[in-house]
Amino acid sequence: MFPARFPIAAASLIVTLTACSAPGQQSGKQAVATGPIKVANINAQSGQLSSLGKWENKGVKLAVDEANKAGGVNGRQIQLDLFDDQGDPTVGTNLARKIAGEGYVAMLGTAESAVTLAMAPILKDAGIPNITSGQSPKLAALKSPFLFLNAPTSVTYDETLAKYLVDGKGYKKIALISNNGTYGAGEHDAFLAALKSRNVTPIADEAVTPDQKDFSASLTAIRQKNPDVLFVGAEEVESGLIAKQARELGLKAVLAGGAPMGTDVYVTTAGADNAEGSVISSPYLSNDASQASKTFSASYQAAFGEAAELHGAKAYDGAKILIEALKQTKGAGGRPLADAIRAVKHDGLLGDFAYDGSGVGIHATQIGLIKAGKIVAESAG
Amino acid sequence: MQVFLQTLIGGVTFGAVYALVAMGFSIVYRTMGLVNFAHGNVVMIGAYAASNLYMFAKLPFPVAVAVAIAVTALIGLVIERVLRPLENKDFDLMLIGTIGFGTVLEAGAIRVFGATGHAVPSPVATAPLDVAGIKIPTYSLLVIAVAAAATVLLGLFLQRTKRGAAMQAVAMDHEAATAVGIHVGRSNAMAFAIGAGLAALAGGLIGPMLYVNPTMGGSLGIKGFAAAIFGGFGSMRGAIAGGMAFGLLDSFAAGHFQEYSELVTFLVFAAIVMVRPTGIFGETTVNRA
Repeated sequence: MFPARFPIAAASLIVTLTACSAPGQQSGKQAVATGPIKVANINAQSGQLSSLGKWENKGVKLAVDEANKAGGVNGRQIQLDLFDDQGDPTVGTNLARKIAGEGYVAMLGTAESAVTLAMAPILKDAGIPNITSGQSPKLAALKSPFLFLNAPTSVTYDETLAKYLVDGKGYKKIALISNNGTYGAGEHDAFLAALKSRNVTPIADEAVTPDQKDFSASLTAIRQKNPDVLFVGAEEVESGLIAKQARELGLKAVLAGGAPMGTDVYVTTAGADNAEGSVISSPYLSNDASQASKTFSASYQAAFGEAAELHGAKAYDGAKILIEALKQTKGAGGRPLADAIRAVKHDGLLGDFAYDGSGVGIHATQIGLIKAGKIVAESAG
Repeated sequence: MQVFLQTLIGGVTFGAVYALVAMGFSIVYRTMGLVNFAHGNVVMIGAYAASNLYMFAKLPFPVAVAVAIAVTALIGLVIERVLRPLENKDFDLMLIGTIGFGTVLEAGAIRVFGATGHAVPSPVATAPLDVAGIKIPTYSLLVIAVAAAATVLLGLFLQRTKRGAAMQAVAMDHEAATAVGIHVGRSNAMAFAIGAGLAALAGGLIGPMLYVNPTMGGSLGIKGFAAAIFGGFGSMRGAIAGGMAFGLLDSFAAGHFQEYSELVTFLVFAAIVMVRPTGIFGETTVNRA
């Protein structure tokens, strides 16, 4: 080992020294320009939201492994390090300071809007670009030059959904049930705004907590209003429980919601019969949607032995964009990397990415329906 | 009226499960004066064991739950055995020990079963009963019936059998119990095993109602613990009453206070405990700590 490594170490030392002495150069950046490029992936690996974090990490890891196998960035390998934020904003801010102090050029994650929101100011000050999987409109509202989303915001999801349900299908009696967490509240506000712009007032608007298990009271109140559509703004498991209990209570309304309802977790929690016909707004409907998604899902299956889904796909897109930008900056971080990410035009799994000033790169979702436990594309009306 | 009755049914179903969890907390507390903070995590292990045996080993649901009870009872015995040297020596360390066991169980479950979890199909796949517009899920009836049966059996065990009486004796005065030849360690072990078994029963039953994942023990544990305090910590009757009260409180608060339901539930809980610190059926027998 040692004899083989020594010349490389010596060579890199020489390169480093010469780089340092070059006039007009920022010595700090050049000093690390030969080692691996350090990229942090921060996602929940434990706690309530760890399933999201695990999916995201797999998507990111797949993209980085592929890039490294293909020779890395300008001959340098990407070193991907995973940190567990436990889905907790406090842990997230600590990790943000940690990666800022340890020379990471970029951060991928987190899957939680609340955690990303907490980390954003620190990463902005440290000049570390962050591509997040969060989709709360609050992230875009920050307008941080260092924060990018790898998916549309709730506004896009719910605008597409309202267009399909109200304009396309002509439903007017719409009830809402959503939780008061960051995601649920974002969905609630976005869908309500989309309804308002169509002069539709919901006939019921029930709020629950993210941890609630029994929805009898809210759902019975909704049932009495006999809605055509029940909009659900909650994460995977809670959406599934709401769907199951709604059907058990004899609620016949069409169930509609965002990406969480397009997952297996939703369908199995609700039961396939109860989930049947659910309307979903999602930028990634299935692994068979395109040639790119087929290739992605095959590599994902081969690497991790499980089927790919939305979270892995969007994390993969985000990582691809970062790698592309790193190639542009030749591995340098800071503001040049953020600008390079904004300039990347990526034909990804979720659509064509073109970032605007608020860090949102995708502005469209599609409508899917749950049929026999599987999500199928519906040509949006 | 319809909303009221429907909320009542939802509340009673979850109340029955909270009661089982609360009984597990109480039986260990009354015998050893110890709060087993790993209890919620044992509920989770029970849910995993029962659902895995039911879904993947294709055992009939009752058999799967029975095996899960045996498995977790064994875990209960292990926890008690490890903590036994501390009994009557360092109480704080024992408490921290149970917290540690809880963390180990959760981390172990993530390691073994993965972080994602799984949904469990209902073992009674029939349409809900319709009584004058009130829908009663058949599985809810099963849960209530099983919880009631378990409660009766446990009551009979504690009052009618020699071992049960011995456990009562240890709960009342462990020194006197030792003096009349009762093995306190064995009695404690039994309490832990029964507590863990009850946890597995609760976990097994709640699996098809919720979603089985490594962190499900957290909120179930806290609500079960609160229910036990509510009813009078250490009292079996209290655990049942507390569990039911908590289930109902939770459900009705959800209807009336929407997103503030959790806050209201625990505010009411705090108010009642302030007025009556010993809970509904507070007993004076338990004073070991």
